[in-house]
Amino acid sequence: MRYIRNELLRRRARTILTLLGLGVGVGLVIVIASLSKGLDNAQKKTLDPLAGIGTDLTVTLSPQQQTSSFGGPGGGGGGQDRDLIAANQSVLTDLSKLGKPGQHFVHDFFLPGSQLTFQQSAASQISSIPGVASVTTGLTLLAEHQQGIVPKIVATLKTQRKTFQIQRNIPRPTAAQFAAMQACFAKLRGSSSGNGSNGSNGNGSGGGSGLGGGNGGGGGGFGGGGANRAAFAKCLPANLRRLRTQFTTPQQTLRQVLNPPQTNIQTTPYTIGGVDQTHPTQGLVTTAQVTKGRFLSPAGGHEALVSDSYAAKHSLKVGSKINLNGTTFVVVGIVSPPLGGQTADVYLPLKQLQTLAGQKNLVNVALVRADQSSQVGSVQKAIQTALPNAQVASSKQVADTISGSLVNASNLSHDLGFAVSAVAALAAFLLAALLALSSVGKRVRELGTLKALGWTQGKVVRQIAGESLTTGVLGGIVGVALGLIGILIVDAWGEKLTASSTSGGASGLIGQLASATQRTASSTVSLTAPVAVSVLVIGFALALLGGLIAGTAGAMRAARLRPADALRQVE
Amino acid sequence: MTEPQYRVTALAKFFQRGPTTVRALDGVDLEIAAGEFVALEGPSGSGKTTLLQLLGALDRPSSGDVIFEGRDLVKLPDHELASLRLRSFGFVFQQFNLIPTLTAVENVEAKLAPTGVDDIEGRARRMLEEVGLAERANHLPMHMSGGEQQRVAIARALSVEPRVVLADEPTGNLDTKTGGEIIDLLAGLAAEHGSTVIVATHDATLAERAPRRLSMRDGRLVGVVAAV
Repeated sequence: MRYIRNELLRRRARTILTLLGLGVGVGLVIVIASLSKGLDNAQKKTLDPLAGIGTDLTVTLSPQQQTSSFGGPGGGGGGQDRDLIAANQSVLTDLSKLGKPGQHFVHDFFLPGSQLTFQQSAASQISSIPGVASVTTGLTLLAEHQQGIVPKIVATLKTQRKTFQIQRNIPRPTAAQFAAMQACFAKLRGSSSGNGSNGSNGNGSGGGSGLGGGNGGGGGGFGGGGANRAAFAKCLPANLRRLRTQFTTPQQTLRQVLNPPQTNIQTTPYTIGGVDQTHPTQGLVTTAQVTKGRFLSPAGGHEALVSDSYAAKHSLKVGSKINLNGTTFVVVGIVSPPLGGQTADVYLPLKQLQTLAGQKNLVNVALVRADQSSQVGSVQKAIQTALPNAQVASSKQVADTISGSLVNASNLSHDLGFAVSAVAALAAFLLAALLALSSVGKRVRELGTLKALGWTQGKVVRQIAGESLTTGVLGGIVGVALGLIGILIVDAWGEKLTASSTSGGASGLIGQLASATQRTASSTVSLTAPVAVSVLVIGFALALLGGLIAGTAGAMRAARLRPADALRQVE
Repeated sequence: MTEPQYRVTALAKFFQRGPTTVRALDGVDLEIAAGEFVALEGPSGSGKTTLLQLLGALDRPSSGDVIFEGRDLVKLPDHELASLRLRSFGFVFQQFNLIPTLTAVENVEAKLAPTGVDDIEGRARRMLEEVGLAERANHLPMHMSGGEQQRVAIARALSVEPRVVLADEPTGNLDTKTGGEIIDLLAGLAAEHGSTVIVATHDATLAERAPRRLSMRDGRLVGVVAAV
């Protein structure tokens, strides 16, 4: 033992080199493993969007589909563009309704973006599918917070009054018609005394028709009976009644915004979610994501939750007040919603948002939990079959839409991390083994001497292996220390990784709307490398293994030495 | 007459150096009695070192027998040879062969430790005292002169009270004066501890001090100088 200690102490340069080699290798492995774990954690937290909200599947209605049979959305059965435009009508609102031109206004517009709304009752349709444990609904809207001066450039267009005239000659009556007319007239004359009030009975408005003179028939003496003209007209055959028709188109006033108005209006887009506050464990956001304050109360009053990033951007705290078109909401909690699909900056009770956005009983996402995780696939198929127009996404599919440096780094760590670790460990092992071999090589005479002194083969081998093992243990300690230092550096450096998820933005929409309907949620995670005891133990074990490999290599070489040969090499 | 300590018969050792076979030892017959002081003379390459190594169980012969105290070294397994080297033989080399990372006292302990005797440090220090190096006990070999190093080597060789001390050119790296002192020391201590001494040397003046001189040429003993 003393010899081992001395050997290592008095060959400091070699020992330090071996220790550093092993240490750096092990340290690298530890740092990379920790980093990879950190990324995994970040990814799990951020990129497993549905698990955090107690959901296996999300059901949305895509504008790419015909919408005839699913819950009857606000849009109707037209083409996709028409649906979307109809659904997003409120963003095309006539700004002049906000006030007189020149007035300051603050207004929040809510629009469903590319996720069409559907009746809340569709949820019960989904919950009746076998394997579905529970369904909650949510409404995620794109909100445009606008403030500024009401623009003047609102065109008022008056359509011209148009009058159409049709003129036509009246044909002469046939003999039979004439006879019938005369009989009719005679009958009228006989009962003329009782017709006074009857004649004035609104018949004058009867299509603006009247006798335009020129009737050369025997009706001359009859002209004085003005009150009886209508009755008289009835005596005419049908083809003599239709004489002249006049159409007048109604006057219309059209007001519309011409292009984006050139004013100082500032638009701040954000996303707003309506949460079924009676399901605190399943929904767009759940109690699990509340980082400060509390979840919405079941009563669903004027309460709001805001995401941590939105709260930071707008200096909102628990207790802050948000005014949305005249209604004040109190922030009761800060949440950290998972990325992907259905995140929002502000969450309101579902009913409140529906009222605010004029989307009564309409939702645009259903969150489905399956009875068992193994059933998710079959439930997904069943929902898809039952609702052919719905888009049913699983957790993994949602995660796949997430991009950003976090995903890149995570992929990188998965792809490269292992390779780099393996190379680092291998390099450390090789270095340790080579140094052990060269150590034995340089000490042939010494080992031969030990054998000459009477040391057995086993004792010499044990000596060499012991040295290497000790080096391994020390290298492990150095490696763990280096690894911890590396982890500290990584944590202090705090590289920011982002992940973002973009949905919507269907192509083929009119310009402004297309970008407005795009929904991008992003999340920033500071890169950390959590220290896991298991990783440290593994790192230490690697160093030991390196020492063992080196020791075996050295010992095998030492064992082959015959004392006389060893001594002879010197001469 | 009693059985000699060593009885060597028809001892041969061949080395393969490329295509040629080197006959380092080519039929040596020899008897050495316990407690003898023997000088082995001869030029380089005459087979002195090989003979010493075979006598000291450092190597196995190509043919022939080495009977040491009634046991044939050729037939003993490796671990018994190691045990013999440890307890019965003490080596002194031309290059001193001290372990460079161990101090003088630790070098002596390296020989004592495997024997399992108690108080190895005390024994080692007493041994260094005998060779006059008590105050140098904690020095590393690199900080010692050649003579001092060789004295450490002698202390190490004699520390286990071996039956035989085998010295291969022990003065080869030393000046004449120091060499003389070393030989005196070796001879004196060996007599004191009752050990046989076999010294290989090509230094005639040194060999002259040995009661028995063996001369070697080309792997054979060429003349036996009888005891005075």
